Amino acid sequence: MKTYIVQRLAIALLTLLGMSIVIFALLRLAPGDIVDILFSTAGYISDSEKQAIMKELGIDRPYVVQYLDWLHQIVTGDLGKSYRYDLPAWEVIRPLVPVTLELAALSMIFAVLMGVPTGVVSAVRQDTALDYALRVFSLAGLSMPAFWLGMVIILGLVSWFAWIPPITYVSPAKDLKLHAIQFLLPALAVGYRSSALIMRITRSSLLEVMREDYIRTAWAKGQTGRIVIWRHALKNALLPVVTVIGIEFAFLIGGLVVTETVFNLPGVARFLVQAILWRDYPVVQNLVMFTAIVVILSNLIVDMLYGVLDPRVRYGG
Amino acid sequence: MSRSRALRLSTMLGFVVVALTLVMPVQGQTPKSGGTLNIMLREDLSQGFAIHESSTISTVFPAAPCFNNLVQFDPAKPIESTDTIVGDLAEKWSWQDNYRNLVFFLRKNVKWHDGQPFTSKDVKFTFDLLREGPDAPAKLRINPRKDWYSNVEAVEAPDAFTVVFRLKRPQPSLLSMLASGYTPIYAAHIPPANYRTSCIGTGPYKVKEWRKGEYLDYVKNPDYFIKGRPYLDALHYVVIVERGTRTAALQAGQLDVAFPGETTKAAAEQLKKAVPQLVITPVGTAVTDNIIMNGKKPPFDSMKVRLAVSYAIDRRGLIQAVHQGAAVLGAAMAPKPYGVWGMSEKDLLTLPGYGKPADMKDKARKLLAEAGITAQHPLKVEMVTRAIPLYVDMASFVINELKQVGIEASLKQIETAQWHAVATRGEYQIGANLTGLGVDDPDANLYENYACGSPRNYSFYCDEHVMKMIDQQSQELDPKRRLGIVVAIQKKLEADAARPMLDHRIDYFTVWPHVKNLVPHHNIYNFARMQDVWSDK
Repeated sequence: MKTYIVQRLAIALLTLLGMSIVIFALLRLAPGDIVDILFSTAGYISDSEKQAIMKELGIDRPYVVQYLDWLHQIVTGDLGKSYRYDLPAWEVIRPLVPVTLELAALSMIFAVLMGVPTGVVSAVRQDTALDYALRVFSLAGLSMPAFWLGMVIILGLVSWFAWIPPITYVSPAKDLKLHAIQFLLPALAVGYRSSALIMRITRSSLLEVMREDYIRTAWAKGQTGRIVIWRHALKNALLPVVTVIGIEFAFLIGGLVVTETVFNLPGVARFLVQAILWRDYPVVQNLVMFTAIVVILSNLIVDMLYGVLDPRVRYGG
Repeated sequence: MSRSRALRLSTMLGFVVVALTLVMPVQGQTPKSGGTLNIMLREDLSQGFAIHESSTISTVFPAAPCFNNLVQFDPAKPIESTDTIVGDLAEKWSWQDNYRNLVFFLRKNVKWHDGQPFTSKDVKFTFDLLREGPDAPAKLRINPRKDWYSNVEAVEAPDAFTVVFRLKRPQPSLLSMLASGYTPIYAAHIPPANYRTSCIGTGPYKVKEWRKGEYLDYVKNPDYFIKGRPYLDALHYVVIVERGTRTAALQAGQLDVAFPGETTKAAAEQLKKAVPQLVITPVGTAVTDNIIMNGKKPPFDSMKVRLAVSYAIDRRGLIQAVHQGAAVLGAAMAPKPYGVWGMSEKDLLTLPGYGKPADMKDKARKLLAEAGITAQHPLKVEMVTRAIPLYVDMASFVINELKQVGIEASLKQIETAQWHAVATRGEYQIGANLTGLGVDDPDANLYENYACGSPRNYSFYCDEHVMKMIDQQSQELDPKRRLGIVVAIQKKLEADAARPMLDHRIDYFTVWPHVKNLVPHHNIYNFARMQDVWSDK
């Protein structure tokens, strides 16, 4: 097990190194840089002045030097300075991380709480009216993009109740109730889509397991439906569901852009878009690396969970 | 008087009363102190509080409450002219030596937010910095309005509370430029770069916290030099990048004030329907839609082709189709009542593209034919525009208009990061552009956008005669004579298709009724100080 984790971490490090090259290169391939943007807010451009600012920011140096400098910064824990805000990048990024992690986690909790039970009910009541209704419900969730749903929620609330959730972030320490209200709706909007996916995977996986011999044996032994389904069938059906949950969580970290934007939550994803528009390399590079780390870690956790859920799974050395 | 005429008169009177109620400061109500105003921002502060390094409303609007100018446009009057200029850090001023010297007498009880006293040194520091004079104490990273001060020979501070601007020649416009929201006074003891991250001003509000990308909080400056001001305890600017959410937040009452230039006619109608008590004031924005054509490259180095483009575009059609009526016709300067230097409607009708669309298009075809462009040999060009809807909608309309006269234009959207670089370097053929004017003044506009060699003269238009006329109006002391020259310049610019103007945009500035004394000006850049604003909540 330990060897496996060490191996995975080593692969993760290599993946991150590869990611860093891709991120760095893609950012430089995008047209324009921070200095163009700065001049854009002034309405003109002067090539000589541009050169001076590029020198000041260090982006006139060869790309290799800039890349190695960034790697050095990561290793030493210094993430560089935001070009736009003239502040340490970490200082800019730090307040954003908990917001996105909380929203993603809440969304996943909603997704699991909605997706797994409805998937089970749908499988157990296969081809009944309830099954059809739940499948339509899940299909709707998959069809509606979270941003559209978010916008509809905002417009519905303001039209019917002349109210929307707070537009300025409320910390839980300041007002827990308001904080919960602020996160509830975006988490529901995002969670609905993920729950639809989880529901469908749970349903199909459970239906497959329900046809297994050992389930038939359990029924033959006179076990109650609850025991058969929840203890014997669901536990074995959860493996693909956990995979999906892991992938969805990883997807959410980077995929909350529009939800954070619509609900005006100051998270990583919304800020990342602004940082890209401003070509704020230090902020973008480090935020994308952060997302990559979360994706890799969530995949690792999912792999670890396989062993817990299915004792047959062994981690080779 | 006939009944219908009486009805018409009473309706007109009604409109006037409503308009006056909306734009005039609240009379008869005693201002209340206290409260917080929640104000909309559509993006984070572009360059922090460094107004002198920026030319965007996203900087000047939220940064203005931190600062003061020497003089300002009367916050209570929507129209801006030399007649509406009032003192700010300068108690009074005087033109001397036949408009060659402008002397300011400064207030004596003013302190910077860090407690340092404000003196004439700060004024000299600011303008030496801006004009990049030989004795400039520092250099701005970007200096977009250096040209505004090209006629200033020296700025002198003979004593702590007197400042003298010595001019190379008379220039009455200088005062207007000093009153612009883009001309705050910086502290001499603060490095200019610091304003990108923090703000030490003399203004009515002190920065409390700027959470990047999220909000900006100000608190009342207790040591403000005007006793009893500001009325409000705090200002809370909220960054909301999604337009739908911004509108919803305003509608739900989480915001008290909209962002200037933000509310379209359609949005205003929707808001008014949902919340009838909202106060919506149509005002000029000082932002124009215009066409830039690269006069250095074929085919637009040909005056006939440029003129054909100008003739081909139906301005009224654009105003209706793209702005749903929320724009007005005008040449280089904003028309009345939004500005004081614009051309009359009668004069406008004589310009290329302002007549009947069918006639105008015929003229365009004729000009193109003279330039060798016919239906059999159409002109194929690439039209560039900034990749944001505000620009793209206008560009799409223009492309359709050009197609009707035999110019086949394909649209190329340029990212914001590249837009001004492309325009300044002339890496384009034809473009759909928006121009914002920091102040409704011929000097600020004409030198910036039409003078030979100006970096913002994207069309590279350069005419010796026009330059002479621009210089001539600049030093003309008689306002009537000056207006005559300015009108003649505008006619000439349109006749040369230097940068054909399509329209001047209108904003439907929206506030909740408890917001008092916030009078929107016909220029989005110059009414953001919030010194006299109070809340009746």
